[in-house]
Amino acid sequence: MRLLSWPSITQLLLAPLAVASASDYNDYSENLLLKSLPGNSILASFRFVSNGTFDSHHSVFPRSLAQILQQSQTKELHLKFTLGRWDAEQWGRQVWDGRTAGGTGVELWAWVEAADDSEADARWTTLNNALSGLFCASLNFIDSTRTIRPVMSFQPAGHHSPERLERLHLLHGTLPREPVCTENLTPFLKLLPCKGKAGISSLLDGHRLFDAQWQSMSIDVKPVCEESGKCQLQMEQTVDMVLDVERSLGKKDSPVPKPPPIEQLSCDQEKPYAGGDSCFPLSGVTDLPWSLSEMFGRPVRGSCPLAVVPTEEATHVCVNIAEKRSIFVSQGSEERKRSPELRCFTLHENLDFDIVLPELSPSTNLLLTPPPVYASRSLTGHGQERGGIQAVLNNPSSNSTVEFVYLESLPWFMKPYLHTLSATISGKDDGNIIQDIYYRPALDRKRGTQLEVRLRVPPGETVLLNYEFDKAVLRYTEYPPDANRGFDIAPAIISILDSSSQKSTFSIRTTSLLLSLPTPDFSMPYNVIILTSTVMALAFGSIFNILVRRFVGADEVIGGSLVSKIRGHVMAFVAKKRRAGGDKPKTE
Amino acid sequence: MDRRSLTVIIATVVLRLVLFTAFPSLPNLLTNRVELSTPVTSFKRLQEGLFLYTHGLSPYDGGVFHQAPLLLAFFTTLPSNPIVVYLVYILSDVLSAYSLIQIAASGVSVSTPYHTSSRKSSTWPPWAVAAAFLFNPFSIATCIARPTIVFTNTVILTAIAKGVQGRGVAAVLALAMASYLSLYPVLLLPPMVLLAHDSLPAVKKKGRSLGSFAAVLTAVFTVAAAVLGALSWGITGGSWEFLASTYGVHLLLPDLTPNVGLWWYFFIEMFDSFREFFLCVFQLHLAVYLAGLCLRLRKQPLFVITTLLGISSIFKSYPSIGDTALYLSLLSLYRHIFPLMRYTFFVTSTLLYATLLGPAFYHLWIYAGSGNANFFYAITLVWSLAVTVLVSDAIFAVLRDEWETERPEMKGKEIVQI
Repeated sequence: MRLLSWPSITQLLLAPLAVASASDYNDYSENLLLKSLPGNSILASFRFVSNGTFDSHHSVFPRSLAQILQQSQTKELHLKFTLGRWDAEQWGRQVWDGRTAGGTGVELWAWVEAADDSEADARWTTLNNALSGLFCASLNFIDSTRTIRPVMSFQPAGHHSPERLERLHLLHGTLPREPVCTENLTPFLKLLPCKGKAGISSLLDGHRLFDAQWQSMSIDVKPVCEESGKCQLQMEQTVDMVLDVERSLGKKDSPVPKPPPIEQLSCDQEKPYAGGDSCFPLSGVTDLPWSLSEMFGRPVRGSCPLAVVPTEEATHVCVNIAEKRSIFVSQGSEERKRSPELRCFTLHENLDFDIVLPELSPSTNLLLTPPPVYASRSLTGHGQERGGIQAVLNNPSSNSTVEFVYLESLPWFMKPYLHTLSATISGKDDGNIIQDIYYRPALDRKRGTQLEVRLRVPPGETVLLNYEFDKAVLRYTEYPPDANRGFDIAPAIISILDSSSQKSTFSIRTTSLLLSLPTPDFSMPYNVIILTSTVMALAFGSIFNILVRRFVGADEVIGGSLVSKIRGHVMAFVAKKRRAGGDKPKTE
Repeated sequence: MDRRSLTVIIATVVLRLVLFTAFPSLPNLLTNRVELSTPVTSFKRLQEGLFLYTHGLSPYDGGVFHQAPLLLAFFTTLPSNPIVVYLVYILSDVLSAYSLIQIAASGVSVSTPYHTSSRKSSTWPPWAVAAAFLFNPFSIATCIARPTIVFTNTVILTAIAKGVQGRGVAAVLALAMASYLSLYPVLLLPPMVLLAHDSLPAVKKKGRSLGSFAAVLTAVFTVAAAVLGALSWGITGGSWEFLASTYGVHLLLPDLTPNVGLWWYFFIEMFDSFREFFLCVFQLHLAVYLAGLCLRLRKQPLFVITTLLGISSIFKSYPSIGDTALYLSLLSLYRHIFPLMRYTFFVTSTLLYATLLGPAFYHLWIYAGSGNANFFYAITLVWSLAVTVLVSDAIFAVLRDEWETERPEMKGKEIVQI
């Protein structure tokens, strides 16, 4: 009797909670996409979506973030932490249409509700400072010099009422120099309902994530409204990374990366060699075998119990590999085949999940879809006085013209000359490439430059976008401690526009640039003050010396006037003192 | 204008045209030189300002363009052909030379109502003065680099030319224009009033005290400056933004681009808490010479103007070679005092030294990377020192010349100052 009553009581106690939670559980889903890329790389794309409201007490939507959004009146938030470069030539199009990837470093943009610009700025500062604390990132350094208000590049992704849209201010800030690291991952995982302990998020480990060739963590919060008018906040967290299989597997044997011995290298035998110690390594001959636990250091620790019950549509893990390649999964999971190249699995709540892919030779790659635009940007010119920027924008399509907005956010100490801006196709400008320009010049120490150019590139053509700039010399206190390393310039953002709606459908970031500025000598402020002051004193002294004194012939001055004069004055003074002393009446 | 002056002018116009057209890359090369173009005069920045202005953006709402709004209005009316721009700059130089010829012809540099130099005969004829300006390599380089300081110089010389003719109102109007273009010529107002008053014909001078004359001219200057300000307000679409972006930059030095002056490196290295204090000191330092020079050299106001231009070419916030070229051309009016100067060899060799090593050291710092900022800074110190010595030596020579007029028997004898 006693033995039986305990579970029943527990069940009774937990029953209402279970009912309440059941509806909330539907508000969280997670899935992982693994895609093989050429060159023995794997794209791992984690996606966690949670819905909730500000005032709900048992919601999966993180309360810490909700309070920040409420305090700063932020209606839509996009925060990206990115490292590395997405190699579009090799890996093709980015996942999620590039929506989740940011530029190198940290990128943040938000729609803040405010009556005017100054109020929006104040709320933006509040938001930055709060997020800075939440994510252990230097977001508080996004000040007015790093903030821009893009006009053409971004559109709100959430549902906003028309009257609210009028009061929303878009602000955008970047920190290209921010090193994204483990301390940003930990708070990121804490926002998840399972906190990285169970479900696919248990794979996320700082050692593996930040060892990737390219990785991006992103948080997008937006309001989502149903037909009935009921609105919720939706937070989408994603982690995308490109892992090098060879490098990850090598870690198993030796934690410190080192080149393999020559006996283990597969050399290109078709090339002539001068000696036995040289080798042209062959790569991508075979698809190397890998498993989840080898790539991430551990298997998936069951499914997250708070996540939505998987359905035919929503599964936990999907693998996108060549049809030829075989795949083995651990027990307890359920396979749902969608297409020959996409195999999806649902996880068991209490069982570890692992995937093993054996070696395949010769290597077979998936067919890559090219991105809408290939973009690269570089600095031109030499010296530390001035320079130029050249962006190479190529439209790979053979039949459709692509239209996009090219956005640059430059620091104030880089002074672009807009009159030198040119867009050419093989050296010629037919006047039809640049459609529109929005330009807001920099103000010294107050704000940076914002340049948005809407361009149209005909099929198969390459546009060269060029402009010149001057480099400013800063005050010596404005240089960072490692001044000669250079200054990071934020990546350019390319938003591909839909030809009919003129809305951004795809976004691409270029790499960040390293700009070297002229530097003063940091060791000698005192010397400079002294030397310059000496020259000024010399001018003042010599000119006034000539102005206030009068000329006398050298032979008219007898016995060196100055010495005799001084002597005369001293003698007169002494004599006067003596006389005064002698005359003083002696009083006792 | 006599035939020789005309020949000189035609020769230099041809020379400048040849330099502009035969070496098409030369103008842009020189425009990029920090010695010739400063942030407040650069032609490249003017082009950027024009581009923004013609595209409906305020050029003053940015950190690049810091020049007067009337320049924008003037250049937008010009056709965009580069030859026209070249001709405008050449014409400006010709006008400067014409003013110099007028000044030299008036003989004010050797004889004023209070003083006539005993060395009157050894002065240069007008055409030689014009040639000294037009053939000066500094003037030529400045003209080819097309900074807007060329226009300021022309207006200043016009003001002086009107002043020596006793046309006070015209002189002060021109001076207001010069001050409007680059602020510091405002310091020339007191000596300009003195010069105009001294040059009045004796008939007109009667019953006109210096006090009332000065009051009238100061009023004219103020009104002219206000009108120019109002015009600019109209040009920039009813905004006073341009004040902070032009004169504010002259006064507060936000742009620390290197130049031949002493300010840029000083304020790069200055501690933040003392920045405002030293800005005040540096600005006051420029004004402090005014009273002393006007009092001591009351007999020769033209020389006061010359000296003040020399001093401001060293100590103003964004000096360039063009300022020094103006000072040197005015100094050529004082050929008769050259024998009294003591350090001519030192000054000439130091100026040459700085001229040759300046670009080399700048290259070492900015491009080669084998030198640091101190290299170029040291050269600017040497340059400033040389011009300083020249200015003070010229003052000495002029004062000695005055003294020798009083005491002709002391000519050529050793003197001391007490």
